[in-house]
Amino acid sequence: MSAATDQRPTDRPTAVPVDEGTRRLVRDFLLLEAELLDDRRFRDWLDLLAPDINYRMPVRVTRTKGGSAEFSSDSYHFIENRQRLGLRVERLETGAAWAEEPPSRTRHFVSNIRVSVGASAGEVQAKSNLLLYRTRGNAPTHDLLSAERHDLLRLGEDGWKLARRTILLDQATVTTHNLSVFL
Amino acid sequence: MQQLAAEEAGEVLVAAARANFRDGLLPAKIFNDPALHAMELERVFGRAWIFLAHETEIPKPGDYVLRNIAEDEFIVVRDAGGTVRVLFNSCRHHGMKVCTASMGNTAYFTCPYHGWAYKNTGELSAVPHEKEIYGEGELDRKTAGLLPAPRSESFRGWIFASLDQNAPSLLEYLGDFTWYLDFYTNKSPAGLEVIGVPQRWIVHANWKLGSANFIGDGYHTSTTHLSTVKIGVIVGPAHFLLDGAQVTAGAGGLGFRKMAADAGAGRGYPEHIIARFDAAHREIWKRGYFPGHGTIFPNLSFLSAASVEARDKPPVPYFTLRVWQPIAPDAIEVWSWCLIEKDASEPVKRASYESYVLSFGSSGLLEQDDTENWTSITSAAGSRLSRNQQLNYRMGTKLLKPMPDWPGPGEAYSMDYTEANERAFYDMWLRYMERRS
Repeated sequence: MSAATDQRPTDRPTAVPVDEGTRRLVRDFLLLEAELLDDRRFRDWLDLLAPDINYRMPVRVTRTKGGSAEFSSDSYHFIENRQRLGLRVERLETGAAWAEEPPSRTRHFVSNIRVSVGASAGEVQAKSNLLLYRTRGNAPTHDLLSAERHDLLRLGEDGWKLARRTILLDQATVTTHNLSVFL
Repeated sequence: MQQLAAEEAGEVLVAAARANFRDGLLPAKIFNDPALHAMELERVFGRAWIFLAHETEIPKPGDYVLRNIAEDEFIVVRDAGGTVRVLFNSCRHHGMKVCTASMGNTAYFTCPYHGWAYKNTGELSAVPHEKEIYGEGELDRKTAGLLPAPRSESFRGWIFASLDQNAPSLLEYLGDFTWYLDFYTNKSPAGLEVIGVPQRWIVHANWKLGSANFIGDGYHTSTTHLSTVKIGVIVGPAHFLLDGAQVTAGAGGLGFRKMAADAGAGRGYPEHIIARFDAAHREIWKRGYFPGHGTIFPNLSFLSAASVEARDKPPVPYFTLRVWQPIAPDAIEVWSWCLIEKDASEPVKRASYESYVLSFGSSGLLEQDDTENWTSITSAAGSRLSRNQQLNYRMGTKLLKPMPDWPGPGEAYSMDYTEANERAFYDMWLRYMERRS
């Protein structure tokens, strides 16, 4: 298997911007999503996901060329479908998920939202920057994860759903002791 | 003066550990002490064989990856002739790192400082303006190649190195443990390959906790990993490792899960795989023992297990290797690989990788809780009272005797809820710290 690819999965050569109304709705969607995650309303968060969601965080590797060549096409910190994301949420509800007992305090800062038309009707692509602040217990320190997210959103009968997310972390070595949180 | 005092403090702690260890106890302080850490870098990581890479990570001439033995960074490269070289990443002129990418392919490593270029064999190849600037005898090219690791050897494609020129051979070091590695490496004539690249992440924990957990802590699973049994990712009961087995042999140890009697020889492996193993290996499978977690001293751990994604789907097996790279008394960088038989189909490889990510690695549902334990222990161990607090490693000393009829080498016990392997690990650690090994 090849170690890396030169393609970012959701990149398109030319991004066609969407109308202002759609842009606002997508922005509201991403901000609502961040609120649900920070409020630990994970069941409600799952409701925002399309049944065929593809949720990935590729491993980043330091390479001479840099840029998109840094992302592995074979290795991931997350490589999730709806079923496995559901398991991750179900685990948090067992009372025995020690990584989140007591829970992490997170704050998802979402910015630099760029929305463009998708490949199919009713689909849009959204790029956003994410800064995730995380603390546990009474530790005086915090973890910060910075990433760009490439999302595909789809408009269905019950509103917008997240159909694809690729999380492009700005680190080769992840500086939090576990990824028991969602990005 | 300060360094001497620190070394003395380290020696006092090692002596206290040895004294208490005779009674099955260890001072908590060994998991977070700067003086002890400095000693470990010299006496353990300066002498033992350390895993660096798998040969399938560098299949073609010129392929390289950057890897560490604690603070020492090495370029692990397949040279133009196909030989694997382990080269210290530091220019022989003024010490700059000649390789800055974590992986790639190159014929030359060129120092960004003054432009000295080295072939991928390590040989010094070009020095800008050499004739104009160096007089006779000032620069001997023959001895100015990149420093090779004092020792480097491979076993079944697993590349190890040692900083100790006088280390025993890798095979001698691994000893009888190679017999147990067969369970993991010998299932296919094609051998194993690494899927992609390793995940890397920082855990504020002492490196020994990862090694000891994987070599022989079957006991923690029913509490630490209870959530994964509850949601069905692990096939229960929660105490699934209670009646397993634990074996110490050579430089390593491993734990077995006891499968239901109807799991069959080789736990459902097809006949062509079972046929690759000798009678003794097959006898272990026949008794229902499935080889799972293990560690090779000091910091290479591995696990063969399976995750269940949905109750109506079969468990999907995966195999992971991981290195607990010490970066501070209270911090490790975890490097975690997923490997699979090279001749497996692409869909099988993909499914296995997804199963691995669900359970282990940076986001793994089991590993999440392991790192929680180790950071907590390390934090408590940084205190003053941790010098006086003796932790209990006695489990199994009274109740278990080695199984007399175990088909493989080493010492085997009929439960995975014992600390026999952890005691073997800490005994080896003490021998290195006392310079007796």
